[in-house]
Amino acid sequence: MNVTGILIAVAIVAAIGLFIGIFLGVAANVFKVEVDEREEKILGVLPGNNCGGCGYPGCSGCAAAIVAGEAPVNACPVGGDAVADKVGEIMGVKAEKKKRMVAFVKCQGGCDKTHEDYHYTGEQDCQMIAFIPNQGPRSCNSGCQGFGTCTKVCPFDAIHVVNGVALVDKEKCKACGKCIAVCPRGLIELIPYDAQFAVACSSKSKGPQAMKECTASCIACGMCARNCPAEAITVEDMHAHIDYDKCISCGNCREKCKRNSIIVH
Amino acid sequence: MKSCIERLFNGIIKENPTFVLTLGMCPTLAVTTSAINGLGMGLSTMVVLALSNLIISALRKVIPDKVRIPSYIVIVASLVTVVGLLMEAYVPGLYASLGIYIDLIVVNCIILGRAESYASKNKMLPSLFDGIGMGLGFTFALTLIGAVREFFGNASIFGLTGPKVYGTSIPVLLVELVNKIFNPDSSSAFVRGLGDFFTGEFASFSPIGILVMAPGAFFVLAILTAIQNVIKAKGEAKGKDMSKIQSGCSSDCMSCHESGCSRRLVEPEKTEAKKTEEVKEAVTEAEKPAEEVSEAKTETVEAAGTQDVKSGKEDE
Amino acid sequence: MNGNYFINLMIVAITSSLVSNVVLSQFLGLCPFLGVSKKVKTASGMGAAVIFVITLSSLVAGVVYKFILTPLHITYLKTIVFILIIAALVQFVELFLKKFVKPLYEALGVYLPLITTNCAVLGVAINNVNDGYDILTGVVNGFATAAGFAIAIIILAGIREKMEYNDIPKPFRGMPIVLVTAGLMAIAFCGFAGLI
Repeated sequence: MNVTGILIAVAIVAAIGLFIGIFLGVAANVFKVEVDEREEKILGVLPGNNCGGCGYPGCSGCAAAIVAGEAPVNACPVGGDAVADKVGEIMGVKAEKKKRMVAFVKCQGGCDKTHEDYHYTGEQDCQMIAFIPNQGPRSCNSGCQGFGTCTKVCPFDAIHVVNGVALVDKEKCKACGKCIAVCPRGLIELIPYDAQFAVACSSKSKGPQAMKECTASCIACGMCARNCPAEAITVEDMHAHIDYDKCISCGNCREKCKRNSIIVH
Repeated sequence: MKSCIERLFNGIIKENPTFVLTLGMCPTLAVTTSAINGLGMGLSTMVVLALSNLIISALRKVIPDKVRIPSYIVIVASLVTVVGLLMEAYVPGLYASLGIYIDLIVVNCIILGRAESYASKNKMLPSLFDGIGMGLGFTFALTLIGAVREFFGNASIFGLTGPKVYGTSIPVLLVELVNKIFNPDSSSAFVRGLGDFFTGEFASFSPIGILVMAPGAFFVLAILTAIQNVIKAKGEAKGKDMSKIQSGCSSDCMSCHESGCSRRLVEPEKTEAKKTEEVKEAVTEAEKPAEEVSEAKTETVEAAGTQDVKSGKEDE
Repeated sequence: MNGNYFINLMIVAITSSLVSNVVLSQFLGLCPFLGVSKKVKTASGMGAAVIFVITLSSLVAGVVYKFILTPLHITYLKTIVFILIIAALVQFVELFLKKFVKPLYEALGVYLPLITTNCAVLGVAINNVNDGYDILTGVVNGFATAAGFAIAIIILAGIREKMEYNDIPKPFRGMPIVLVTAGLMAIAFCGFAGLI
């Protein structure tokens, strides 16, 4: 029994352990990065799913921006008013109430309303549409092709391809903006959650052509715009647009639209 | 005592570290070039696992929370050193063939994971049996994989080759058999072929050598995981809860150091459910006042009618 | 130091990075290899972090082994001491980067705690001891091993990115197809066997 050997071994390992402990302790103090404690608190209040809807890299990025004063306290679209209030408390600022917005796909040209120009068996990726013959197999070239890239990027499982066209579940949508960024045709836009009516068409084709392409396309006849009491509808780019700041949800536009382009939201 | 037996069964069958939890892939792939290696590695891991569980469970009230991972690592490293030295002394052949993988038991996910998830929260005896159970499951898995690789790749079982064992690659055997049948030079080639089969003259047969080499390990594991996926899919089709069966470390490693493989062992469903719960709570809290506000808005709009556009706006 | 020594260093470097590649031949570091190889960007970040940590740790481990463990005849304690050193080193590097090189921390920082329990780091340190390398050869060995890891993980990430839209049979989706790919890569790397 070589006791000296045992003692040396114990001593050396203990010494190394002690040295490392002290070294790290000192290093932690010397290399300490000052973090504003408000940032930690805000980070705790934010939902924490790092969707990027605020425009900052993750929830920690948003917290840092809020503390730095770059972002307003209601920057988080997912957390909505409740989180904005809490963040406002931490920052000592009153939070403004933001209207809840949801994404909406301005197209309803699914398999039942449009037809296929040809049968496509290539990659199901919306970003590749520019390279596909005739901009995609669907008869309408301005609408949703239904390949579903938007469904892949949604962190909240709020958008799905139903009947060949993308459809947003407005209960689940948190307006983070990821689907909007990825749609190559810009078909998705944010509208208020409680908007009652929406134009589900983005057709840029002239009237007769649009009628051939889809059974529910907007032909830019202008009936909706003429009959809107709040003058909230304009016809641009050969289809109708509703201005939700003016819209009073009366429903006249939907009644007057012969093409069933304006739908109930 | 009941919980101890339950721990044993849990480790061997229900939560087998290799087949169900897919942990500790490094030694699984590296060491299973033969059944004996797999057995030896599994047993040494079992010893380390059981003892480390025991010690950590004994010290669980003493170790402060902040330094618990480093202290667990030190305990496991000491045990591995001891086991390694014992193996070097008493089974030098095995020690030589296992090489550095004995020392690498220290960083085996299973040991640290079990320590963190089970041993640090439970009494000594169940922890010990948990370690033994997991270790036995691991040993069983390693031995099985090692036996398969050895059988098809090296034409041997547990080191035994030749006429004693029909250990050769079956497809090659069949091809040779068919060849012998249709070989016009030999009479009653079929009988001859069968005779060869049963007397074990496999001079012309060669095993699938790649299985005992590095790439073969990947292929074997791929097939194993694929089989596991099939079982999982069938189980889910029937409605059983298959969430315990993971499919390898395919999850995003970005949050591994926060959750760690250990968290998966704790109660994987709970932690995942907890996180989604928290997000859901935050979101439903946000939704409630928004809903109230929107309800108030629609009431005001309906009450005011289409004429009072401005009053509706003021209410917002 | 004569020419032979440097030739030896080169041989060590080529052997560790290509011929007996740390992941595809020695099976060390599989967890991050399979887990962090989804995108080429994250894979290159991980590769860079691994090179950084392994080179540094093989240096420190080599020094400690030569000047502390060997003279006192306690080389059997190498496992414990090495793992302590590695854990401490990673922690220290994280603190250092966070304070002084913030962009690097943003890029690599997430992977650093992952590397602590990575087989490859401890494996390299022990390999240096078992093969009897001196400190410089040990560092070169470490750097080359990590470079081999980086090469392998980036190649795998590239292949995985390409495979993303492929029609893979259901049982093989997820981990199994990645393992098959790794196996094929291992076969390819076997071709380096006659290089030295």
